[in-house]
Amino acid sequence: MTTIPSSLTIAEAGRLIAAKKLSPVELTKALLARIKAIDPKINAFLTITDKAALTAARAAERAVMAGRKDPLLGIPVAYKDIFETAGVLTTAHSRILQHNIPKHDAETVRRLRAAGTVMLGKLATHEFAIGGPAFDLPWPPARNPWDTRRFTGGSSSGSAAAVAAGLALGALGSDTGGSIRLPAAYCGIAGLKPTPGLVSRRGVIPLAPSLDTTGPMAWTAQDCAILLDALAGHDPADPASVPGPQLSYARSIDTPVKGLRVGVLRHIYEHDMPASTDVLQAMNRAVAALRSLGCRVEDATLPPLQEYNAVGRVIISAEAYALHEATLQTRLSDYSRTFRIRVLSGALLRAAEYIAAQRRRTDLIAITAKAFERFDVLISTPAAGAAALLSEQRPDDGFGRPLATTLANVAAVPSLVVCAGWTAAGLPLGLEIIGPAWGDATVLRVGHYFERETGTRDRRPDI
Amino acid sequence: MSGSPIAPTPPISPAEMLVLVSRASLTLNPGQMADLVLAWRQVVALLALIPRDRPLVDDQAFVFRLPPPVIAAKPVATARAQPTGAAATKPPPGKKPAGKTSAAKKPPRGKPTGGKPAGQKQSAARKPLPNLSSGGRSARPGGRR
Repeated sequence: MTTIPSSLTIAEAGRLIAAKKLSPVELTKALLARIKAIDPKINAFLTITDKAALTAARAAERAVMAGRKDPLLGIPVAYKDIFETAGVLTTAHSRILQHNIPKHDAETVRRLRAAGTVMLGKLATHEFAIGGPAFDLPWPPARNPWDTRRFTGGSSSGSAAAVAAGLALGALGSDTGGSIRLPAAYCGIAGLKPTPGLVSRRGVIPLAPSLDTTGPMAWTAQDCAILLDALAGHDPADPASVPGPQLSYARSIDTPVKGLRVGVLRHIYEHDMPASTDVLQAMNRAVAALRSLGCRVEDATLPPLQEYNAVGRVIISAEAYALHEATLQTRLSDYSRTFRIRVLSGALLRAAEYIAAQRRRTDLIAITAKAFERFDVLISTPAAGAAALLSEQRPDDGFGRPLATTLANVAAVPSLVVCAGWTAAGLPLGLEIIGPAWGDATVLRVGHYFERETGTRDRRPDI
Repeated sequence: MSGSPIAPTPPISPAEMLVLVSRASLTLNPGQMADLVLAWRQVVALLALIPRDRPLVDDQAFVFRLPPPVIAAKPVATARAQPTGAAATKPPPGKKPAGKTSAAKKPPRGKPTGGKPAGQKQSAARKPLPNLSSGGRSARPGGRR
């Protein structure tokens, strides 16, 4: 077996496979061996589909030899365990679905299979994509490859850990309040929460349908764009799905960003959610990097982060409780304590309070859209600091504290997190790039150029 | 017409909470009840941040509708080409959706076994890149939001 670097990106692997210089079978075997060696340290995978992966890799290899050239042909990926996969256990990391084997693929899984990807397995999440790391479930929480004592962020915890550790070249996650972007930040990878409606949610176990989105996670913004090319498109079976812009995100990513107007949401990390010194320094460096790329950078202001959070949390509590009520009535103790604390309060919410949150959301969508008359993108930090120790996480942590990432969910806009550097202790920090509705291509471009300008993609966790 | 000021969400007493929990057909042990009290305090603080005294005619429905995407003439989109705000144009005229997927119509081949996906061989043989511009009919753009 040839030696295959663990630092391979989707773009690089795709080019090598297309040129017949890299075998999808050898690549898959190398990653399966790496999963076997490393995953016990980080618990990213709940299920490893090794035999099926090799079967798919052989099919991809035959297609390559037959002359097919697709950017995702033979690329190994994995899925957060809330994406339904035909014939493969899909648990949502919960005792409630411990033996659930779906009959069909989620639409996103179907699209990536059709593009020629190879599924390596299913990835850890917070139970039903909400809460935090829980130790009272059948599987342990994922651990951060940069420091295995630390939290990955969530809820797409296994997706971020697997990509950061080089166990999969790409992964899918879901994002209702930051579940793609927080783990992307804490694990030093790229993660895109697309514009709602751009990527189908059919076959993905819901958390709060008003806010749920699904999207790609990978080592680079360019890899996210390649995945998005396969994922985006209208799905009549998802009532929120709309025909998106007709463009290739991967091809448009090289369009220069010179002259773009960048608004800095300084009030978020200096006032609304005071950030650590490391984060403040990283944001200053990010502003400098964007200026050196020719962007016009100035401060921008939105309503306080607390308002977006209040709206988002109330909607999530109400909708998640409604979805789980019947099961909570009969199997309450089978849920983790973390899940119960986040969701049970939905039983006490009144309809008028839920509607008030939805009405305020309408305001916040309009106010945020107005900001994009002055700016092409807005930037902020996705988190106030780097990943915390798992031992410091408590089930009731964070419910009242604002999350910067929830802003983009409530405002129904796309948002990309890329690596913005590291703390002195070597833990990754993120930069959040928020665009207007349907501005997914723009946030990917800015992220791509930012990664190239800052060189943050040259450093991998030593695991 | 403006709405009357709304009183903030009042605290729930332990007895009232028991009634509400019972009405939801939930059975909580003392520890779970204590957790719920803790969580509810946080939710009450969040509710206080959401304005409630709005004019009755302030909005007609509790939904939002995204501005339609700009259909780029060229494959490369520029930043200025992105729609902003609430654009007034309608989404592209509906064509027929791009057909039902085989995944939606046919169950996978083979017996379901945990960790062993079925139907992969079938899917892997499909055509190259999916259609990015299916242009299908929008069921209800943003209709559930």
